[in-house]
Amino acid sequence: MDMKRDYYEDVRLFSSPAVVFWFVVLLGALYLFPLFAENYYVYVANYIAINIIVATGLNLLVGYTGQISLGHAGFFAIGAYGTIILMAKAGLPFLLALPCAALIAAGFGFFLGLPSLRLEGPYLAIATLGFGLTITQVIGRVELFGGREGLHAPDITIGPWIIDTDKEFYILLITLTIFLLLFMRNLIRTRVGRAFIAIRDADIAASTMGVNILYYKTLAFAVSAFYAGIGGGLYAFVLKFIEPEIFTLMMSIMFLAMVVVGGLGSMMGSIAGATLLCWLDLKLRNILSIPYIGDWLEHLSKNWFSITGVSNIQFIVFGTIMILIMLFEPLGLFGVWIRTKKYWRTWPF
Amino acid sequence: MTDLIQMIVSGIATGSSYALMGLAMVIIYKTSEVPNFAQGEMALISSFFAMMLLTSFNLNVYLAFSLAFLFAAVLGCFLEFAVLRRAKEPNVLGMIVITIGIEMVILGFVSWKFGAEQKTMPFPIDPYDSLFIGDIFLKKLDILTLVSALGLMVVLFVFFRFSKLGLAMKATQQNSVAARIVGVRTNRILMTTWGISSLVGAVAGLLISPTIMHPYMMWDPMLKGFAAAVMGGMTSLPGAVVAAYMLGIIENLFGGYISIEFKTVVAFVIIVAVLCFKPSGLFARHYVKKV
Amino acid sequence: MKKSFMLLVVSLAFVLSLAPNLFAEVGVTDTEIHIGQWGPQTGPAAAWGSVARGTGAYFQWINDNGGIHGRKIVYHMFDDGYNPAKTVAGVKELQEGTGIFAWASGVGTSPGMAVKDYLAQNNVPWVGPAAGSLNWVNPPQRNLFAVYPLYDGEAKALVRYAVEKMGKKKVAVAYLNDEYGKNGLRGAQEELKAHGLKTVAEVSFEAADSDLNPHVMKLKQSEADMVLLWTTVTHAAKVVGISKAMKFEPQFMSTSTCSDFPLMMSITKGTWEGVICATFGELPDSDYPAIIKYKKEVFDKYAAKEERWGIFYYAGILFVEPMIEALKNVGPDLTREKFITEMEKIKGFKGLGAEVNFKPFDKNDMYSRQGASQTFLIQCLAEGKAKKLTEWMDIK
Repeated sequence: MDMKRDYYEDVRLFSSPAVVFWFVVLLGALYLFPLFAENYYVYVANYIAINIIVATGLNLLVGYTGQISLGHAGFFAIGAYGTIILMAKAGLPFLLALPCAALIAAGFGFFLGLPSLRLEGPYLAIATLGFGLTITQVIGRVELFGGREGLHAPDITIGPWIIDTDKEFYILLITLTIFLLLFMRNLIRTRVGRAFIAIRDADIAASTMGVNILYYKTLAFAVSAFYAGIGGGLYAFVLKFIEPEIFTLMMSIMFLAMVVVGGLGSMMGSIAGATLLCWLDLKLRNILSIPYIGDWLEHLSKNWFSITGVSNIQFIVFGTIMILIMLFEPLGLFGVWIRTKKYWRTWPF
Repeated sequence: MTDLIQMIVSGIATGSSYALMGLAMVIIYKTSEVPNFAQGEMALISSFFAMMLLTSFNLNVYLAFSLAFLFAAVLGCFLEFAVLRRAKEPNVLGMIVITIGIEMVILGFVSWKFGAEQKTMPFPIDPYDSLFIGDIFLKKLDILTLVSALGLMVVLFVFFRFSKLGLAMKATQQNSVAARIVGVRTNRILMTTWGISSLVGAVAGLLISPTIMHPYMMWDPMLKGFAAAVMGGMTSLPGAVVAAYMLGIIENLFGGYISIEFKTVVAFVIIVAVLCFKPSGLFARHYVKKV
Repeated sequence: MKKSFMLLVVSLAFVLSLAPNLFAEVGVTDTEIHIGQWGPQTGPAAAWGSVARGTGAYFQWINDNGGIHGRKIVYHMFDDGYNPAKTVAGVKELQEGTGIFAWASGVGTSPGMAVKDYLAQNNVPWVGPAAGSLNWVNPPQRNLFAVYPLYDGEAKALVRYAVEKMGKKKVAVAYLNDEYGKNGLRGAQEELKAHGLKTVAEVSFEAADSDLNPHVMKLKQSEADMVLLWTTVTHAAKVVGISKAMKFEPQFMSTSTCSDFPLMMSITKGTWEGVICATFGELPDSDYPAIIKYKKEVFDKYAAKEERWGIFYYAGILFVEPMIEALKNVGPDLTREKFITEMEKIKGFKGLGAEVNFKPFDKNDMYSRQGASQTFLIQCLAEGKAKKLTEWMDIK
């Protein structure tokens, strides 16, 4: 919105000292958060942070490069299983195992990127969906991955520091998240990011101008898979136990929904979308304990519906919220934010 | 040898229900250009509606089914009218998320109303009654599904190719503004397509329900139907059906001879392989993008 | 500016609260005992949600009859949709927010595995997980008491009966490809080996499979005369139906999860007749006194109108009975340590299920924490009635 006078200003990370100040305040708040909050809220924060990482990666692919992926649960699973196996069987320390597992996921991402050169839309969706299903099936069958018995996550040790509480893990997680988000933001502002956006907007025109479609499309898949892999590796330690059944198609669909609801092509949007959907997911199961509405719903259930299925109301609410956001603001939550800003900019005229 | 034929026959039987779901998805994609993720649940609620009519109100079977079809058609029209149309300047991903939202709402609704335990559908044909041709067995229900799938495919194909409504639908898909200029009521066309698609889905749901009836019964058929529709070409009705049969046969053959565990994986690998050679599916014309 | 928006979002989203801990012992006040349970009330596993609801009705009955030494049980049931992430979230929220004294039952191996270590670390007692997995007692944990007979024990009992009493020689196993199914497979294999036999086919199922023709083809090709079904209820029903359509008629046997005969008969339209199941509790329509008592006093009064008096409903009572017995024995001065001591003293306790025996904790003896190791076999008759084939037998 503000005028940029040269290229350096355009790619600068912090556009003014005020932004730096608020950023430091935000960092302070995030790091001090576990001192005030209960363990449960820290657990929720961990869960949301992981989804933010994955959503940002998926946003790069879907929002900035214009592809589609319904198989991100597969990369998530590769990250989770990879990290645990590298730590348990190969004895690598956590800080090494995590990026290695994510790089393996990125490798798979590269392979998944190859069909994307020829496919688009629902065709690419099915190809990625197939990939996600394949990963779950293969992991479930091969004994190395513990099969369906699942794997337990070992403890993380970083030097002398053993992480075994949610709060300690939170510190590590927040650091990684901030680092990854800053990296993504930088990536988007450089020529690599511009190449992605060019591919989304007009890929034939982009290729005539010298953008190597093969390289950048597969790169987009690989980077987004890398992020999902990191998210998966961290998830294994939040949950302390992983099993192939966790990485379902529903999970992939949820990731996609987070990105779209938050706002395609906007990093702030992915953060907001991930936060909102995860929070709803975890909190909606308590819907019956809302004072008046809860009682009314129970009464309704006893007479017209089944009281046994009453917890399914959370799906109805979840789905309705998703539909309403997309109906009224196709640009997602970020669009809501932009619209609010524009409105207040010219208020009260 | 008889095993091979039996597997192919079983594959055709399963392929029929995938074909019906695939048909439903292609119909919507032809006009709205959005893969409808709520397809399975729309079929689900129609089947449960039929079951409710049959068990709670004790209606005659044919009356109950007809009412269920009517319900399905109205539901489809209603969803298009009330939800999809209200989206302002939608992009494809936004519409997909809307269909996912619809899917969750309907699924939650059905689970809430009927509970999660498996139910039974009082169907006139015993699902496990079978005919024997030599050593090959074929369930009567499968024959009915096969006939419905092929019958609907022919009816819909003829309808879309030769009737005025079908022509209007093609026009709406190719260029909706131009269609409106020449007098095609695009809104009504979209509503009708959703209604027809929901009806086809309801047929699929009703034919699946005798063997299995609980709120999550349509997930797998919908997924396979979607995959079949993609493999056949999202804009081609016969393509979806042929691809669905191929999918069913490949799964059964692979499961029988090589490995049951990986049969779903192989199915998807083959789909991806097919797509790599024919990016728009087997039977659709590949529209080369204009710069 | 965008960052401060995020700051706003973050701080609005997480309402900070510090709940002062008023409990003498966690989850216990002078008038209340807090007990929690997770269950799949939604999702593909929702048919098992009735376990948690059964426990709820049972607790209501106890409360209306005076509670336990003047304390009422405050029951916290939440829905985890069989998703371990939600189980962990719910357990942590309740444990740290309200403070839970102990956890009752809880359906599912994966959800339970996700919280097992957390509960052990915080020394929270947990009684009667609703899954017969070996993981609960291998290695045994001081705070975790298992009441569901082990899956591989059930498999052994079934195979033993088939081989010894029915003279079957060709046994095939159809199993769900997860921990539950594999435990059953392992039990069957071990028992067959003890008789010098091997399985003629081992067919694995995925939970999401809807086309079961190839699986049944494989079973038929193996010409088995006994097929052991260790799958979901839906799959078992389909397999039996398709087999009948294929004119493949071995003796089908299944585990306790498919032992709800009225349900099975209705969804298979009668084809389930003749199937033999192992079970962990008395039959729903028997004249066993406890069954009649619970049906009249708990089910008829407290259950919702669409509930069914089936084994998965009163399983919620069955898995919790030892816990209530121990709570009563502790007396008015209730702490977790005393509770665990009383649990260990339970010997020969017979409620709705098998006899329950615990021992003082020994980390090398899994039977110090595996309370029930008996099952009996029933056969399905027309109209969903069950015929008892054996009495309670030990399976170790």
